[in-house]
Amino acid sequence: MTTVLTSGRRAGFVSLLHAEWTKFRTVAGWGLGMAVGSLMIVLVGVLAGVSSDQQGAPPVPVGPGGAPVADSFYFAHRPLTADGGITVSVTALESSVPAGPGDLRPGQVAWAKAGLIIKESTRPGSPYAAIMVTGGHGVRMQSGFVDDIAGPAGTEPVHWLRLLRSGDTVTGYSSADGTQWTEVGTVRVRGLGPRPRGGPFVASPPSVDGMGTRSSVSTAVFGDLRVEGSWADDAWTGEQVGPESPTFAGYPPGTSGSSTASGGELTITGAGDIAPAVRETLATGGTVKDILTGTFAALVVMVVVGTLYITTEYRKNLIRVTLAVTPGRGRVLVAKAIVVGSCAFVAGLAGALAAVPLGERLAEVNGVYVFPVSSATGLRVALGTAALLAAAAVLALSVGAILRRGAGAVTAVLLVIVLPYLLIANPFMPAGVAGWLARVTPAAAFAVHQTLEPYEQVASVYTPYNGYFPLPAWAGLAVLAGYAAVSLAVAVVLLRRREA
Amino acid sequence: MRRAVHAEWTKLRTVAGPRWLLAGMVAVTVALSAAAASVSTCVSPGCGGDPVELSLTGVDLGQALVAILAVLVIGGEYGSGIFGVTLTAVPRRRVVLAAKAAVVSGVVAVAGSVAVLGSLLAGRVVLPGGQLVLWPVGGPTLRAAAGSVVYLVLVALLAFGVAAVVRDSATGVGIVLGLLYLVPIIAQVVGDPGVRRVLQQVAPMSAGLAVQATTGLDQLPIGPWAGLAVTAAWAAAALLAAAVRVGVRDD
Amino acid sequence: MSPFRTVSGPGIVVSGLRKRYGAAVALDGMSFAVPPGVVTGFVGPNGAGKSTTMRVILGLAAVEAGTALVDGEPYRGLRRPLSRVGSLLDSSAVHPGRSARDHLLWLAHSQGLTARRVDQVIERVGLAPAARRKAGGYSLGMLQRLGIAAALLGDPPIVMLDEPFNGMDPEGIIWMRGFLRSLAAQGRAVLVSSHLMSEVQGTADHLVVAGRGRAIADAPVADLIAAASSGRVALRTAAPEHAMRVLARAGASVASTGGDTVTVAGLPAERVVALLGEHAVPFSEVSAHRATLEDVYLELTRDAVEFRAATPEEAHR
Repeated sequence: MTTVLTSGRRAGFVSLLHAEWTKFRTVAGWGLGMAVGSLMIVLVGVLAGVSSDQQGAPPVPVGPGGAPVADSFYFAHRPLTADGGITVSVTALESSVPAGPGDLRPGQVAWAKAGLIIKESTRPGSPYAAIMVTGGHGVRMQSGFVDDIAGPAGTEPVHWLRLLRSGDTVTGYSSADGTQWTEVGTVRVRGLGPRPRGGPFVASPPSVDGMGTRSSVSTAVFGDLRVEGSWADDAWTGEQVGPESPTFAGYPPGTSGSSTASGGELTITGAGDIAPAVRETLATGGTVKDILTGTFAALVVMVVVGTLYITTEYRKNLIRVTLAVTPGRGRVLVAKAIVVGSCAFVAGLAGALAAVPLGERLAEVNGVYVFPVSSATGLRVALGTAALLAAAAVLALSVGAILRRGAGAVTAVLLVIVLPYLLIANPFMPAGVAGWLARVTPAAAFAVHQTLEPYEQVASVYTPYNGYFPLPAWAGLAVLAGYAAVSLAVAVVLLRRREA
Repeated sequence: MRRAVHAEWTKLRTVAGPRWLLAGMVAVTVALSAAAASVSTCVSPGCGGDPVELSLTGVDLGQALVAILAVLVIGGEYGSGIFGVTLTAVPRRRVVLAAKAAVVSGVVAVAGSVAVLGSLLAGRVVLPGGQLVLWPVGGPTLRAAAGSVVYLVLVALLAFGVAAVVRDSATGVGIVLGLLYLVPIIAQVVGDPGVRRVLQQVAPMSAGLAVQATTGLDQLPIGPWAGLAVTAAWAAAALLAAAVRVGVRDD
Repeated sequence: MSPFRTVSGPGIVVSGLRKRYGAAVALDGMSFAVPPGVVTGFVGPNGAGKSTTMRVILGLAAVEAGTALVDGEPYRGLRRPLSRVGSLLDSSAVHPGRSARDHLLWLAHSQGLTARRVDQVIERVGLAPAARRKAGGYSLGMLQRLGIAAALLGDPPIVMLDEPFNGMDPEGIIWMRGFLRSLAAQGRAVLVSSHLMSEVQGTADHLVVAGRGRAIADAPVADLIAAASSGRVALRTAAPEHAMRVLARAGASVASTGGDTVTVAGLPAERVVALLGEHAVPFSEVSAHRATLEDVYLELTRDAVEFRAATPEEAHR
């Protein structure tokens, strides 16, 4: 007894925490609520896993790094049996985008690609290196689906391109006139194999239109096609690579790929892309964010419990007892925040750690491709989900202490977190407004669920709705934590000033 | 019943809370509607927009305040013990529930009408080039406006019924907002389009708000009136559960 | 003319109420009647079932067996209940943002009564100066007065109040006593619960003592006191311990009633005097014992108290 009285402030706070924990765990409904919240995450994860059946769908092409890729384009190729080079001039690149059903209009597709590629085989996902002119980003040298080197940005109508292979090394050159050559880049390509294919290609990725994309088609005219070194004697073969690939949006209605040679010129029409797959490219794929959608349901539970943890004390006038036994009023709230935040964290972590592998496994069984995540990212997402729920519970507790009304506090907190998310997800919300909502409102915290990476060289719809947040995960979480901390501070000040 | 309704009306008008909630409901509904109309990139039917539906966006938010009001009418009495006093004055439980539901419906209908009219007027002013035609009022516009008011009343009844069952304001409002806002979010993870459509057809919010659509009706997951009927079924189920619950246990 | 009529009726009749909360028995055959024209005190230790009984009478709690009739009918069947029974269970059950007058107004409207009646009862309980202020700022005593005003709203022949003295200052307690007596004098049946005997002493004419879920006594106060007093002897002595030893050995049951007084039961006064003389125990007074209501209560509830701290004597044994 005397130790309690004489030990300092620190021991006092520990016993205060103990008291608040006892209060929390002795109300059956609150512990149950935490368990239900955890279960909600798992149940929605299971729902996401079982709700789609894509068995028998063609396989998603996977690049050398293991990530899903788009690898569909029109390719005129010959086998290269050892080292060698290929040179070509691109005299024209024109793209068309459908403006309506059957209404194809000329348009700009910034990442339309026409150039040279050396690739292990025509199997989607096989290793390659390519040099190309693009619709709006000048000359690029790309390889391994994610590596992109910018070349001269010149706007001359005629670009000369050259690709030289020496063992594993591929070097790309560009020239404005066919005589003065500039090296664009040298890349090492592992696994080109004994008989890679080389030749001119055309790709034309879907163009972004509002909140969606439309497939496009591009046509390029090549001239002065020359090869040097060890090429097989086969004729040039024109072929659509990856025509059935799930990452291929197809040709606009009424168009198709082709290659025709006439008068020393080769005209190739193609669609598709050689690039990492993003959400829009692989709409049928699942993401960890989808699997963790149950976080919203858990959020409702955590907010209700966090609010009740303080408002029931006001309703039953228990707060007078609490404040009488612990006169340091601010410390009471801090202790409550620690208890409810920790419980929400544990429940959220358990739910997320169970839901993600379960949802992924079920999706896999049903033939659904799930965007892969590294185990480090998986752990970050689970911890982030837990932290999000903990911060939301603390926010609810603080708003409950400020408003002293359960229903008002629950509504306020759910609205500030969920409503911005709903507005962000509205297809008619301009990207700028959606971006700001995802930066400054508590909904920013859902950035913890981002596992997809946006790519400069892929034009797509990088919105929070698609799983791309403007803030990194930690910063989004910090926004919500900031709201929680400020609310807690306001609540502490008010609790000190008000009569209980 | 008439006396019970009179008593509930007196209760509602003699505290400040309901007045503020209703005024706040009108304010946020009109404000969000006007904001949505002013920032939207797609208004005209040409890009799939719907000026009437866009101008009624605020109902998405206004319904949350309607839910609080309805929840407090019963949950607040359970929390403070006043419900015992109410039952002492009117011992027939279902008469009490019916009287409360009637009064809440009445005030929400009046405030909801103000909010919906205000939203449409705001849309008329904010949307460029007279894209929202209010006069002469067209059938679909009238249906969207009246339907939105009915929708708000149904949300109030749903919230009232849920709160009467769980007997706690915070829990009640959590359940109601979860039902309203979460089903559309969770429906997005469902891969199978058929199942997703079914979810949108049975969820109280996504089904009920179909009544706001004036263009592209054939692409809606559920027809406007059928959707409103789904929300009505939810409200009826909640009220039924409340009527059963209030009779069988200690109060 | 007084707006409060003189009335009489069948009062409250409770018979054989049984109720349990899980494993705990709350009511175990509770039966009693509250006749008109008198104040009936409803006393007993905490947990004896007083509040539960009152909730059952008002139809707020269900029972497994038994009936509770008010004015001859079950409460839930009453059309305008406040004109048959006025009750106060929990005076804090008032919206803090609503004024006393508005609180009474909605109750009045539920009975088809007018604002005029509201003003009359406000005047009657002396709440007029504060009637338009928000109830959130009321003291406990003011809340009790508001609750009593609500109970009187329908001018009912039966009035039932749970712990009405709680939170009242001495002036308020005096007012409440006179007020309860005046209600009974008008012919009303008045049931007042309390866990403190001193509060009902001097107010109640009739007593129902509750213990472990049943009525362990149901009789006029005068009878109870007479029964508790009969055959007892009060002894004043300078050597109480010696006296108690001597008398206990002779077969009496003795209890120290503080200081130099001892209460003796089971021996007539003459035998007590003789025994004390034989053993040379000094004493200054031997008289017939006059029990207080407190004694009656303690005697009756001795076995019925569920959570009683051990007395020092018991602890030593």
